[in-house]
Amino acid sequence: MAVEPVAPLGGLFEPELVSIGADGIPTVSVPLAELLDTIAKVRGPLQHSRFVDVTAVDRLSRENRFELVYLFYSMELRSWLRLKTRTDREAPSITALVPGANWFERELYDLFGIEFQGHPELRRIMLPDDWQGHPLRRTEPLGAEPVDFTVTRKVYGHDD
Amino acid sequence: MATTTDAAEPRELLTVNMGPQHPSTHGVLRLELTLDGEVVVKCRPVIGYLHTGIEKTFEAKTYVQGVVLTDRMDYLNPLGNNLAYALSIEKLMSCDIPPRATVLRVLLAELTRLASHLMFVGSVALDLGASSPFLYCWREREKILDFFEGISGVRMMTSFIRPGGLARDIEPPLLAQISTFIDAMPAYIDSYEGLLTGNPIFRERTEGIGLLPADEALALGVTGPALRGSGVALDIRKANPYCGYETYDFDVPTGTVGDCFDRYLVRVAEMRESVKLCRQTLDSLPSGAVQTSDRKVMPPPRAELAKSMEAVIHHFKLWTEGIRPPAGEAYVGVESPRGELGFYIVSDGTGRPIRVHERAPSFANLQALPRITEGGVVADVVACIASLDPIMGEVDR
Repeated sequence: MAVEPVAPLGGLFEPELVSIGADGIPTVSVPLAELLDTIAKVRGPLQHSRFVDVTAVDRLSRENRFELVYLFYSMELRSWLRLKTRTDREAPSITALVPGANWFERELYDLFGIEFQGHPELRRIMLPDDWQGHPLRRTEPLGAEPVDFTVTRKVYGHDD
Repeated sequence: MATTTDAAEPRELLTVNMGPQHPSTHGVLRLELTLDGEVVVKCRPVIGYLHTGIEKTFEAKTYVQGVVLTDRMDYLNPLGNNLAYALSIEKLMSCDIPPRATVLRVLLAELTRLASHLMFVGSVALDLGASSPFLYCWREREKILDFFEGISGVRMMTSFIRPGGLARDIEPPLLAQISTFIDAMPAYIDSYEGLLTGNPIFRERTEGIGLLPADEALALGVTGPALRGSGVALDIRKANPYCGYETYDFDVPTGTVGDCFDRYLVRVAEMRESVKLCRQTLDSLPSGAVQTSDRKVMPPPRAELAKSMEAVIHHFKLWTEGIRPPAGEAYVGVESPRGELGFYIVSDGTGRPIRVHERAPSFANLQALPRITEGGVVADVVACIASLDPIMGEVDR
């Protein structure tokens, strides 16, 4: 990914924070503490006011393993803008700014275990309320039933 | 349901569950409705009944195996989902698609949109008590599904649009059948409109019901016909064209007030636009290959395997490791029948993605359901759900 200043973003962000992905969408990476300020900038001066999406990527090997990826869209410029930040567990909720992020943040809480501070209703959304664990974490196994074959006894540990 | 009469409380609120097994909830959507008599005070959608961990499953599949999962997300828009997924991977790989494949992709995406909107028109009528439009809509939808069976062997879960092009070419006799059908379609749409658009009962049930102002629709992340019904002319096909949509002549219909009737009208008008688009693709269909010649994405033709060692190596690598996009990420948004559908794919350079996320339009649209049902009567909840046209396979993934 080439790091080069992007015309509409150059004035507001340090060039090293801005990159362009394979899909041509400008991407701004900011520390978690600056997330809400940056979203205000993106939705205000940068005109990317329509919230599209937020998701997370579990980069297990890195510090602050969860990469939060926000996507905004500008109705005037007809373009997307991506915003990235990193966290190990907690992040500020943006539901006060963008009501549409409500379910997206609940989904991330449910499937990744990211706790959004200030979310009005941070409960599981996909899985049952009494579910243990957060399945989209890279540490969660894909799910398999242990089958009692002689060859698998050592693997699953029930060698009697 | 405990009923107590208490003089201190003049109105008693009643909480009822609508769904998850309710014929009008289009799958397994559950609504917790708090009712004051017939009036909905609070509506809380409860989702997750169809959660199958598709996004997790992607991480264990190769990129081509993942195509199969995309069909199962929005099962009324399988080819549109295939397309969004394929475009995203092609962005990662910087892979060029032959012109014939691109035009056929538009044809297939628009046929799928027609099939999906036919389902909508039929089911919105059925939910409101008119059972005959459903039968007529189903009749035409069956024909489209027959075409899908003709091209891919499967009626619904086609997996036909693959990274790098199409699974195979569409034969001329089938294209001729599609052409005949497309010519007949406007008259069919007229007949549905004759049954519904001027129908006083249908209008009574939908006009002024489920009002969604444009600014609130945008704030809630609503896209697609539900947003355009509120008067916002946002269509990804026009705003950020993909697959050469900028070369076709079509309009983006919008509504005025944003009620259930507007959302119905927008979809019916979109069906007419889809017919126009299908006609244009059939008239401008170039000849040539339907798969990219990039051997890192699509396997070589069978005949080459007998002659070229390189072809054998490519074949072997594709079947053992699959496609290996360079490390990076890509999001491509397309216009599905329900709104902005996007696949965000993160690759680490291996044959399996480390994250595939679908920005599901139904998931975002469904958040608007409390806004449009609260304050109305309970009988209108059915019209409101139908007008958002949620597909639970895509909401729950």
